Amino acid sequence: MEPEASIESARMIRVAVVAVGNIPSAQLRDYVALVLRHRVVSLECARLFYKEHQKSPFAQQSWDTGSLCFKFLVGGAPRSPWEDFQANRKCLGVIGLMHCPTTPDIGAAYDHFMAICRAYPSAQEKRCFALYPTDGQVELDEKKRQHLVMFPPDRQMLEYHLQTLMQDFAASLLMAFESWVLHAEPVGAILTTPLDSQASLNSEEVSKAKKRRLGRVQKTIGDYCLLAGSPVDANAHYSTAIDLARLTGDLLWHAGAIEGSVSALVVDRGGLKDPQLEEEVRYRYLEVIQLYHRKTALSFELEATLKLARFLCRKELAGQVVELLMGAVEGSKTLMDASDRLVLNVEVARIFGALGYERKAAFYARQVAQLYQQQDSCWAAMSALQVLTLTAKSYRIQSKAAFSARTNTLMELLHEKDEPSRDSRGQYSSLEVGADGQWSTLQMDILGDMLAAAVRAGDPLSAWSAAARLVRGHYPLITPSAQFGLATALVTAAERLPPGTRCSDPALPFVRLHSYPRLPPELEVVKRFPGKKEWWVGASSVGPFIYTPFTSKGNESENSAEVIWVVGEPVQVLVDLSNPCAFEVYVESICLSVESGEIEAFPVSVVLPPNTSQVLSLSGLPLSVGSLVVRGCIVQCFGVVTEHLFEEAGELVSGVAISDPFRSVGGPRVSQSVAAVVEVMPPLPLLVAEVVGGEGAVVLYEGEIREMHIRLANAGVVPVLEATMTLTGKHKEHVLSLGHDILTAALPLFPGASVVVPVKLKAGQPTTEVEVVGSKGAGVNNVKPAKDPACPMLVIYYAGPPMETRDMKTKAVISPSLPPGRRLALPLQLHVLRGLYLQQARLLSMEVPAQISRYLPDPGACKSEATSPTSTLVKIDPYRGSWGLLLLELELWNATDVLFEITVTVNKGKESVDEELADDGMVNDSLYPSTRIDQNHSARVLIPLERFKLPGLEKAFLARSLAKKYGLTKHDSKARESSERQAKSELNATIEELSSRISVKWHSGRNSAGELPIKDAIREALQASAIEILLPDPLTFGFRLARDCRPSYGDKVKLSEDAVDEQPKSEDSEHVTVTNQGNNDSIVAQELTPIEMLVRNNTREAVTMSLSVTCRDVTGASCLGSSGAKATVLWAGALNGVDVEVPALGEVVHGFALCFLVPGQYTLLGAAVINDPDESLGPNSNLQYPESEPEPLYYSGPPYTVNVTGIS
Amino acid sequence: MASTACFVIVGRNDCPIYESEVGTAPKKDEATHLHQFILHAALDIVQDVVWTTNGMFLKVVDKYNELLVSVYVTAGHTRLMLLHDSRNEDGIRNFFQEVHELYIKLLLNPLYVPGSRITSPFFDTRVRALARKYL
Repeated sequence: MEPEASIESARMIRVAVVAVGNIPSAQLRDYVALVLRHRVVSLECARLFYKEHQKSPFAQQSWDTGSLCFKFLVGGAPRSPWEDFQANRKCLGVIGLMHCPTTPDIGAAYDHFMAICRAYPSAQEKRCFALYPTDGQVELDEKKRQHLVMFPPDRQMLEYHLQTLMQDFAASLLMAFESWVLHAEPVGAILTTPLDSQASLNSEEVSKAKKRRLGRVQKTIGDYCLLAGSPVDANAHYSTAIDLARLTGDLLWHAGAIEGSVSALVVDRGGLKDPQLEEEVRYRYLEVIQLYHRKTALSFELEATLKLARFLCRKELAGQVVELLMGAVEGSKTLMDASDRLVLNVEVARIFGALGYERKAAFYARQVAQLYQQQDSCWAAMSALQVLTLTAKSYRIQSKAAFSARTNTLMELLHEKDEPSRDSRGQYSSLEVGADGQWSTLQMDILGDMLAAAVRAGDPLSAWSAAARLVRGHYPLITPSAQFGLATALVTAAERLPPGTRCSDPALPFVRLHSYPRLPPELEVVKRFPGKKEWWVGASSVGPFIYTPFTSKGNESENSAEVIWVVGEPVQVLVDLSNPCAFEVYVESICLSVESGEIEAFPVSVVLPPNTSQVLSLSGLPLSVGSLVVRGCIVQCFGVVTEHLFEEAGELVSGVAISDPFRSVGGPRVSQSVAAVVEVMPPLPLLVAEVVGGEGAVVLYEGEIREMHIRLANAGVVPVLEATMTLTGKHKEHVLSLGHDILTAALPLFPGASVVVPVKLKAGQPTTEVEVVGSKGAGVNNVKPAKDPACPMLVIYYAGPPMETRDMKTKAVISPSLPPGRRLALPLQLHVLRGLYLQQARLLSMEVPAQISRYLPDPGACKSEATSPTSTLVKIDPYRGSWGLLLLELELWNATDVLFEITVTVNKGKESVDEELADDGMVNDSLYPSTRIDQNHSARVLIPLERFKLPGLEKAFLARSLAKKYGLTKHDSKARESSERQAKSELNATIEELSSRISVKWHSGRNSAGELPIKDAIREALQASAIEILLPDPLTFGFRLARDCRPSYGDKVKLSEDAVDEQPKSEDSEHVTVTNQGNNDSIVAQELTPIEMLVRNNTREAVTMSLSVTCRDVTGASCLGSSGAKATVLWAGALNGVDVEVPALGEVVHGFALCFLVPGQYTLLGAAVINDPDESLGPNSNLQYPESEPEPLYYSGPPYTVNVTGIS
Repeated sequence: MASTACFVIVGRNDCPIYESEVGTAPKKDEATHLHQFILHAALDIVQDVVWTTNGMFLKVVDKYNELLVSVYVTAGHTRLMLLHDSRNEDGIRNFFQEVHELYIKLLLNPLYVPGSRITSPFFDTRVRALARKYL
């Protein structure tokens, strides 16, 4: 049986092409390709070399359109026993190819060629082409070598020369055919076939044989006519032959003649097919098949069937073709010759393939492979492997290398995915799904066959590839022992491969992208939003709402998808590795593989025990700027380097039988966009921060103030051009100030440079040990919660210079773009310990009566005394009394193991503080000697507070508001409320101010100092009795000795507008220091002493009142004898019921005289009874003086002490 | 007489979703593969034949040597393929109809994803029972 037999093959002139002499295979291939171009030589061209020696037997030859067809048998072919039967089976020509440079002895080579030609006795024409001869060889050329043709050594002309020679060759063959035909008829060629019986012929049979011979000659002439390109002539001869053969019952030749006539018919049509022709061909071929069948020439029968099937091979006639082919296959069972069976299966597979029945073709190809494998030879195994490789596509188990034609790089796919075209995506996914999980039984079978064939053929790479595909694609269906066998096959195949061999088919392990871990916070890249000062803050969300859950969610996902790497900085990718098989997988090296970018990947090796998977961190170093895709890993496993693309979820699940190899990882796959594009940025600066002299955490006591130094060094290769410090996190109040100026001044910070930035800390509340859940910052660049969220974070945003991004291909500057910045987050690990506990704070009131003297005390004098360093202790002015003196007692408990020294300062008003600071900074600090508190001891610190009356203006305002409130618009409740509120707020403001003025500073050890945060405690303490302290009395009383001016002892009331306004002024001086200066003004007993009482009205209303004076001795009993007791003090003037009217903010002086009979200490008390409470301060007193006399209309002043000395 | 039969249900994406050897002939491993190869190859023919008739039962569409391939195509283009060596067309038709009914019942199972492998042992038992009954 002939391979590739077709109806047209009857016109093919068979020519053997053989290599002569020593010829390199590459050259041979090249020359053969040149020769094979001339399969068809038109008669028109051949005519140029054609010489008509005699009248041509091919009368109907069409010189214009006809052609000669060659069938080149490269390497020659064995002689067929059937060559008499069909002339196209004869080798009618021989072409030798000689490569002269490697064949020095042309003579010997020519002899070799002639020897080869002897094997082809039917060859009519011989040519030996000597290519690229040397000059010497040309000279040595002998004319006697008639078949030798030397080519000029010119590559350009070679093709042309070859064409000419082939035309000449065709013409020579044509002439040879003519002569054969002319000689055949008269001479009577002996034409036999193996089927002819060799038995001796009797006479009857001899005559029959004669007729037969005629028919056979006619048929053979027809064959030659057909070969000579004259189908019309051939048809005529065939018709004769058919008649003769039918007559003689020569079935085989009858069939052959019909076949030839059909061929002539088809050739005559010039390849055009129409249904009529097809019908005729089919009809006549069925007759041919029938005849062959009758003659039991099975191979011819099958060949004819195949020829017909091939001729009819059209989609529309698929049914007929399938029927023919199935018949042929069924018939082939009785074929004896193995190679015939092989050819038949090959042909059936080919025809099915041509019909578009891929699976059918694959099936018969597999049959071919099995037939090959039955032959016990290496070549057959190789052929089997090749055939199986062809079937692989139909069974969807192609090697990945075969896919390379469809080079949809992942990058392109990604772009494709971006487009909304659903079709392409669907196609892609179906392809991917189809790539695995088809009919796995068949796939396993084919792969197993491939493995066996490859092992037998000695092709270790194919064996490795097949085993890899088998184990990777079908491990769930393979028993553990078979899996071990595959592993052994992989290892043995790898042993025969050179080290470092690459294979396109990955084996184990399965690799899946786990995630891109975030860069460590100090390396994290912060996107810059140009045109904003705070460039790290993302674009504000659109919409009227400050927070919408949707936008923030969207940002989140966007964040996770975006991965930014920096050139030259190591990166990490987490991958899942899985070995679902029963044997241990030793991965010799695994490293990242990227697309469209450069990365220096660092390989690692890992051992995967059976049925395990693990997450592996692979690192690399990006080398070029641009975008890249991490598409998989380069794995060296079982001795072969393969690239494992990251598994797609769908790829694994699609196969019904294939289960997820990652199931032991647990949980569903991390939802991540597959192989996100990674942006690689140009180098960025890198700041490294360290606390100077710091060991990490800073331990502070509550209220401590300390300066901390942070050294920032640029460890990158790019200068830092801008940097901004901010504070985030909890307990920001601990940080007083940041050295913004110093940092700004240090810019640009070149690589290697460093700057020390001071940070001033002030410890606030003690940090609690409880972990507080860190809150996430809003915006695009989320601040990662620090390890210890209780710490404030010093966040430095910095960026390098703008970079010119260059186009990858053109290297041209596109545009200066803004590279991203970075964030350096330095948690200031502050631990604030509780230093001193404030146990309690309370106000202690003190009543020290003032001494009466000639003058009212001069506030200026007091102040000067107060500021003198010798008299820093609290002293009480005996002439002023300390009715208003209050002591703030702070009880402090030292729970720590260090000493504390406490200093109390009370700042004056703002102006005075400034003033004093300007004068002498120590004044405030060391006004009082410090108090020392040992560990585990408590101490009480007394802070003297004089009446912190409101300043004058405020007081006036308050008075006015009070007056308004209670005098004028008391019925208007609304106004009253509002003014009350006003008053309240003013009060609060005053308390606030006051509490802020008191500060308790502490020292401990050498270098820790701070301030106790007791503001709140003071405020609380003050709040309780705020009004008492702060509000001025409506009336103030004062006494003085009226020595100089002798008033008339009556109820003479003198309005003294210009009287010294002592009270408000004295309030200004907080440090009441009263000296014992009254000694020189002592009052002598038994002497009438004139005394003046000053009554001041602090309200804005004129008040009419009745004044009275009481005098008490040391025991507190009245000395004036009012209660019927014996009076020890005599008096002159009115002491009771002095009715006066004091104008608003005015003052009256009431004079009287006292005569103390007994020396000693007396107390003078002024009192007033307001006559018309309705119009004045009645409600006011109710409201604000609950502790005064029960009678709301009664006021008494502070007690004044009178020291009466004896006469002596 | 021992009969050979291989029954396969092929889903619309040309993946086998059910396969079983329902013949009475002693099983040979390579033979089962051959049977499946034949059925796989027959899909090409089914793909053409299915458009030439209105019926679901396509009768014998293909043969390999003495093995015949009968196919029944459901409306959802699921192909029930039977490889057999007996020429009992009526029995095969009945077998296919019953299996089709079974398959529809299976499809009604909300837990069964159409196109996925049929793993129900009940289905398997019933198919084998039907094969014994009709083939």
